[in-house]
Amino acid sequence: MSDEPKFSSTQPDAGPTAARSTLPMWIFSLTVVLLYLGAVYFDHHGGWFDARVYGPYASAEELDSYQPKSGAAAVLAQGRKTYEMVCGICHGVDGLGKPGQFPPLAGSEWVNAKGVQRLTHIPLTGVTGPITVKGEQMNFPAGMAAMGAALSDSDLAAVLTYIRSSWGNKGGPVTADDVKNVRAEIGGNAQPMTGDEMMKMPE
Amino acid sequence: MKTGFHVFLAALIALGASWCGFVLAPVLQLGTEKQAAVLNSSDIYPIQRPGDATLGLQVYRASGCAACHTTQVQQDGVSCEIALTSLGKNQPQEFKKFIASLLELPLLNSRSNSVTAQLQDWSGAVPQIIVTNLDADAANDLLQHINAAGCKAEVHVVATGTDTARSWGTRRSVAEDFLWDDPVQLGDIRIGPDLADVGARLGNADWQLLHLYAPQSVVKGSVMPPFRFLFEVHKEKIAGVPSPDALHLPKELAPPAGFEVVPTDDAKNLVAYLLSLRADVPLYDAPFTALQAPTNAPSNKK
Repeated sequence: MSDEPKFSSTQPDAGPTAARSTLPMWIFSLTVVLLYLGAVYFDHHGGWFDARVYGPYASAEELDSYQPKSGAAAVLAQGRKTYEMVCGICHGVDGLGKPGQFPPLAGSEWVNAKGVQRLTHIPLTGVTGPITVKGEQMNFPAGMAAMGAALSDSDLAAVLTYIRSSWGNKGGPVTADDVKNVRAEIGGNAQPMTGDEMMKMPE
Repeated sequence: MKTGFHVFLAALIALGASWCGFVLAPVLQLGTEKQAAVLNSSDIYPIQRPGDATLGLQVYRASGCAACHTTQVQQDGVSCEIALTSLGKNQPQEFKKFIASLLELPLLNSRSNSVTAQLQDWSGAVPQIIVTNLDADAANDLLQHINAAGCKAEVHVVATGTDTARSWGTRRSVAEDFLWDDPVQLGDIRIGPDLADVGARLGNADWQLLHLYAPQSVVKGSVMPPFRFLFEVHKEKIAGVPSPDALHLPKELAPPAGFEVVPTDDAKNLVAYLLSLRADVPLYDAPFTALQAPTNAPSNKK
């Protein structure tokens, strides 16, 4: 017990006195170091307040690297994005269209057809006049413009693949080559077709 | 009091700062949360709960289920697996050596500190998981090498952690899971198992009702109290013919002859709520590779 505090006996009544002294340098340095480490930790684990970044993922970039991006999944994601931008306004993000105005794609025999010839024609040339979808005759006066003509082959193929495999549809995938062939066949003569004209084409 | 204004100002700043942290920041971050797209599908998640399940949430709350059960699955990590789908013209044994030599490349392992690639023992049959414990970059690198060798493979993303190892869920819980819950019943003590994915795990309504009436009869050693106030014992309306709702109880629990145990509406709603707890679809916030097509629809099994 040698390091027991010793009390001075000379001044028994001495109270504590306040003295002005500068902050010790080591406390200042420690604070700076701790602040720096805290900032580094926050940078690595904070996700920068992104509401979609959780748990094991440290940042939005890391989360992105785990998203499916190869094969069929990527095509569907690309197709969905383009669909919602270009087609969804009329046909609806649920693919149900609007009764009497915009034909449904969900369960449509045009979308689910075995061949993709007719289906690919629709966005490339547009449609005019009456068309029968799921037994209901649609007579939309404005018709459908060639909404897909400006899309690239792979984008349009992704959209067609997406609508053929969504909302319970069970059509096969459409490749960029399919679209390319149909586009070449149409050539510069992109006139809107009627439903009856398309029925004369091979599936 | 000379310093009254300063005290007021200090209190205002202290309370205002905590209000910003606890109320304002979460609202800014998650206040506009809406339904999210399910990965690899055209579905959205979560769909609105059916009416009986919405009522069931209030029974869940009133019965104090959240005192012993959580509804939040934790996830400690994420790893990628390579699933070989086609060998092409390669011989299995040679290909295995090729993969093993690829895994020794420092390129693949140096990227991630926590993940060590493991070569699985595989026979050469496809499809099969051949390498586990990769991070995303390493998996995509390896996939390119495999594709260059004329094979076809897929990258599977797997959520890892103690909760998923207990099969309490295939991914962590995210904010979308609670979109239709008011109030959110997160729970913070796990005396019983986590219920975030219970509808997918134990999707049988009869089992759930029996479990509420007599937990120990279906789970040996369960510490859950029976919730018999959610059931009624009354005389069979037609003697000898139990009503369709009546529980099928084992002999030692069965009521006397001529009587039957039927669930009240509360019990049915609670079970509908439990069956609607399905956090089994991959989302952007919590990606994983669903090996079977997931269903985010409430189970209709009755």
